[in-house]
Amino acid sequence: MKTKNSDNYTKWQKSFERETKIDLNEASSETDEGIEIKPVYTKADIENLSFVDNDSLPGQLPYTRGPKASMYTNRPWTIRQYAGFSTAEESNDFYKKNLKSGQKGLSVAFDLPTHRGYDSDDDLVMGDVGKAGVAIDTVEDMKILFNDIPLDQMSVSMTMNGAVLPVLSSFIVAGEEQNVNKNLLSGTIQNDILKEFMVRNTYIYPPDPSMKIVADIIEFTSKEMPKFNSISISGYHMQEAGADNVLELAYTLADGMEYVRAALSKGLDIDDFAPRLSFFFAIGTDFFMEIAKLRAARTLWYKIMKDFGAKNEKSLILRTHCQTSGVSLTEKDPYNNIIRTSYEALSAILGGTQSLHTNSFDEAIALPTDESARIARNTQLILQNETGVTNTVDPLAGSYFIESLTDELSKKAWDIIEEIESLGGMTKAVKAGVPKLKIEESATKKQAKVDSGSRVVVGVNKFKNPKEPKVDVRVIDNNRVRDDQIKKINDIKASRDQKAVDESLAKLVTAAKEDSNLLACSIDAIKNRATVGEVSKALEQVYGRHFATSLSVSGVYGKHFEGDEDFMNVTKKVNIFEVENGRRPRVLVVKMGQDGHDRGAKIVATSFADMGFDVDMGPLFQSPKDVAKDAIENDVHAIGVSTLAAGHKTLVPELMKSLKEIDSKSKIIVFVGGVIPEQDYDFLYENNISAIFGPGSNIIESAEKVIDLISDKIHKHN
Amino acid sequence: MQLVEKIIKGERAAIAKAITLVESSRENDKKESRKLISELLNKPGKSIRVGFSGPPGVGKSTFIESFGRYLVEKNYKLGILAIDPSSQITGGSILGDKTRMIEISKNPNTFIRSTPSRGSLGGISVGTREASIILDAAGYDFIFIETVGVGQSETMATNLVDIFSLIVGPGSGDELQGIKKGITEYADIFIVNKNDGDLKSEASKTASDYKSAISYYKKSNNTADKEVLLVSAIEQTGMEKVIETIQNIVSQNKKNKNFDERRAKQFTYWIEEEVKEIIQFNIQKKIKADGSISQLSQKVMDGKIQMFEAIEAITQNLQNK
Ligand code: B12
Ligand SMILES: Nc1nc2c(ncn2[C@@H]2O[C@H](COP(=O)(O)OP(=O)(O)OP(=O)(O)O)[C@@H](O)[C@H]2O)c(=O)[nH]1
Ligand SMILES: [Mg+2]
Repeated sequence: MKTKNSDNYTKWQKSFERETKIDLNEASSETDEGIEIKPVYTKADIENLSFVDNDSLPGQLPYTRGPKASMYTNRPWTIRQYAGFSTAEESNDFYKKNLKSGQKGLSVAFDLPTHRGYDSDDDLVMGDVGKAGVAIDTVEDMKILFNDIPLDQMSVSMTMNGAVLPVLSSFIVAGEEQNVNKNLLSGTIQNDILKEFMVRNTYIYPPDPSMKIVADIIEFTSKEMPKFNSISISGYHMQEAGADNVLELAYTLADGMEYVRAALSKGLDIDDFAPRLSFFFAIGTDFFMEIAKLRAARTLWYKIMKDFGAKNEKSLILRTHCQTSGVSLTEKDPYNNIIRTSYEALSAILGGTQSLHTNSFDEAIALPTDESARIARNTQLILQNETGVTNTVDPLAGSYFIESLTDELSKKAWDIIEEIESLGGMTKAVKAGVPKLKIEESATKKQAKVDSGSRVVVGVNKFKNPKEPKVDVRVIDNNRVRDDQIKKINDIKASRDQKAVDESLAKLVTAAKEDSNLLACSIDAIKNRATVGEVSKALEQVYGRHFATSLSVSGVYGKHFEGDEDFMNVTKKVNIFEVENGRRPRVLVVKMGQDGHDRGAKIVATSFADMGFDVDMGPLFQSPKDVAKDAIENDVHAIGVSTLAAGHKTLVPELMKSLKEIDSKSKIIVFVGGVIPEQDYDFLYENNISAIFGPGSNIIESAEKVIDLISDKIHKHN
Repeated sequence: MQLVEKIIKGERAAIAKAITLVESSRENDKKESRKLISELLNKPGKSIRVGFSGPPGVGKSTFIESFGRYLVEKNYKLGILAIDPSSQITGGSILGDKTRMIEISKNPNTFIRSTPSRGSLGGISVGTREASIILDAAGYDFIFIETVGVGQSETMATNLVDIFSLIVGPGSGDELQGIKKGITEYADIFIVNKNDGDLKSEASKTASDYKSAISYYKKSNNTADKEVLLVSAIEQTGMEKVIETIQNIVSQNKKNKNFDERRAKQFTYWIEEEVKEIIQFNIQKKIKADGSISQLSQKVMDGKIQMFEAIEAITQNLQNK
């Protein structure tokens, strides 16, 4: 405290208070994480840190300053753009173009049916084929995807978790059939199932067998695929789902610990697999916090791995991929997103990421076009080539603010990690649903801040653009993609050796029952041209399919608006409605098809309930038919469809049809929220949709519109 | 009344609208509701009404999903009324039970309705009884009523259902001491859920705690025996035993007339409740119109008359109207 009391500090404080007319004690702000941010930091703030070692250098323990001594001065981070859509042919084209334009690694985005282990011909996935990623049904699709891309030279990252066995198998077999042995394959498979149960929602089996599959893959790859990262432990999706940085950091590392234990339970030595564990974080708009987070992550992981008894230096080092935040990007005034993404990218670089994806400015509208993808990639090329950020390693080290923030984040995250450990680890916590609920609570708070205007989002709740620009969107004709895929599936089914397929699937089932390694058996089945869906279904016979039970936060949104006029205006309308109609306005909020984006639906549901609505919450993955039955039996006034994965043009008309089938005179009104390109509005209105609420919609205003629409409908019919 | 026919034909939308009507707080709706129910009572179905209560999170909804799946496979038609306790300060609620009844809610042979309990006494909401009459007339074989808590066992058992079952979790046996009497008296079946995985031995222990607790219970004239059952909703085990037990209790109680007696008592109780409600409603209307209360209370405050005099005067006044 010597510095603090020094003359300089006292003098500064006086000047500060004179300039701002605010007492210094009251001048701090508080972050979402509950961390106090002071107007100034001094040397005193970096004395006696708990986790950070001020004397350490890059590449030295505890690796706060970076995994390598030379970092970008030797080789810049890898530009790795996540992409995939439609058929394997089209995605392959897109990849090859990007590689020519300066992208270095590939990162495959699969469509939702593939993620959830359904073939494209399955009735359950009608609206989803090829829409939000590339459809892969068999190894033949995988071979097309990497056509003319030599797999012994290209590092390939694959975001696959639920259907990890058939998809990783397809990748391995595709390599083999390109004459590349699996020990030469390099890249990463996400294979992080715990965060699927928390936020990403592309799980297939229940938690316990899912964890076994993760461990099987770590075991197999540690023996057979030395250049391949067996897992990418991901906090990214948590932040995108609404977690603050402490939650993201703590849950990710706690997940990591659980995977280490799962691998150890296979009898592996920690140093045999730990060097191939990799991480994945989101980089949001809180510039310094994000930098501190990456530094804290490395610091804490070092401690964790040391406690596990790892000896190999590579086991102690956290390597990570990062992606700028999609949820920080807006549908309104979308060119602002280029600027947001640039700052986020800089943050990731100053934090020392190993590879990076930068989002396109049309993020909140649809999958990127060639043009928007080019600008996103160029954001990184400009950083690498024009700004000089690669010339100095960890340039912010020694900053009083950054170092103290790094330590503060570490401490907060460590407390949560210890709490989870004391409850028996992340699998147990996930089963109890606690992390998911905490993240939803955090997301709801963020929404309340934006809706109340206490958090500014340029172009959304302040500085709006009076003349919104029109932007092009990538359009995917899922019916065409689906037909193409079905034809390919049928051709393969007609030409394959069915007996061999049946036998290898039977072997897989036996392996699952006997608890032996599943990846080897799954590779055989895929080699015999079993489909992704068939392999998934075979295991489903043994493990069953997981259905999540969902809890809801309550009162979090309403609390933020105590005494707020607009909010009370809606609750008043609701109360009047109740008196007039004998019950409250009742709204069914649903997710249809394989779209697992539930952040918006959950927030809207809890906020509407806080305003006095009765809200029926449907489960994930409903079919339009199920929704119609549910809506009619509960005699709801309205259905709110939340749709983000572009299934709306198929699923919404299907819902309208199903409603009429059960009740030809149904007066239930239907409105739609989520990611919907303006180009589709007319189509939806023609299908009798009453209102559309796009990204950035203020929930209080939406609620008022909904209750007005419901009242109108009732009056019209009386 | 067209609505009645549609209900009897089993039209989903008509059943749903009818339930809305009987739940409505609007005066006009109440009148219509009474008319509707009177008509439906003339066309009784064959439903057995089973109540499932238990503490929050014990697995009631999951059990109903699991047991329900078992029953619809055997071609039974199931009506489910889930009373959801999740009302909030502002009075709204999130009804999430159906996220736990995913499979059965798809089945054409089910009808599932959630109702916010609105904090009404006993966790049973306005209209639950009427809703079960509607489902009965519509031809459902079983009507399940899910409510939270154990406090309302009496209301539920004496009011609404033919069989009342309490769902409990492993380890809940310790709580038995305090609540023994009410429970043993009113519950017909005790279902110990979560009999799976690590919880198995705890579940068995809980079951034997309950068994010894009900042994204290003095059996009154030849009612069916109370049963303690072990199930796992998640693994769908123990379901045959549950349906067997339900059917046994029903047939025994029918044989010894207990079944009809119980229904008759419920009917009397219901009539009494309705009478009370109507009287109360009428009085309230009178009070509103009368205005003598505020006048006379002012006089009391001013020390002009005594409080008891005022009360007497007001009552006289209201009765004469
Ligand atoms: C967060 C996010 C995720 C999170 C989801 C976490 C979760 N549990 O929800 C994670 C990281 C897991 C994720 C994963 C994926 N995502 Co994503 N994701 C987003 C992102 C960035 C933000 C969505 C969001 O939550 N916003 C915040 C909430 C509060 O807003 P909202 O849902 O829009 O809701 C508001 C309004 O729309 C409206 N509203 C919405 N619903 C309703 C309902 C009612 C009743 C009412 C009144 C109003 C209303 O009110 C809300 C409040 O303002 C969007 C892009 C974007 N910026 O929108 C992409 C986006 C939706 N994702 C996309 C894709 C492709 C995926 C993946 C399929 C990628 C892949 N191939 O693997 C995966 C798989 C996910 C899955 N299981 O479905 C695409 C979809 C493409 C398309 N539509 O054409 C998008 C558009 C990004 C892009 N441009 O590529 N994603
Ligand atoms: N292990 C185990 N868990 C179960 C079982 N049945 C339910 N659960 C779990 O218990 C939790 C609560 O289940 P619900 O069915 O929602 O319980 P509920 O009693 O209906 O809860 P409320 O309606 O909120 O009072 C969920 O996480 C279920 O997965 C079971 O048989 N075994
Ligand atoms: Mg329940």
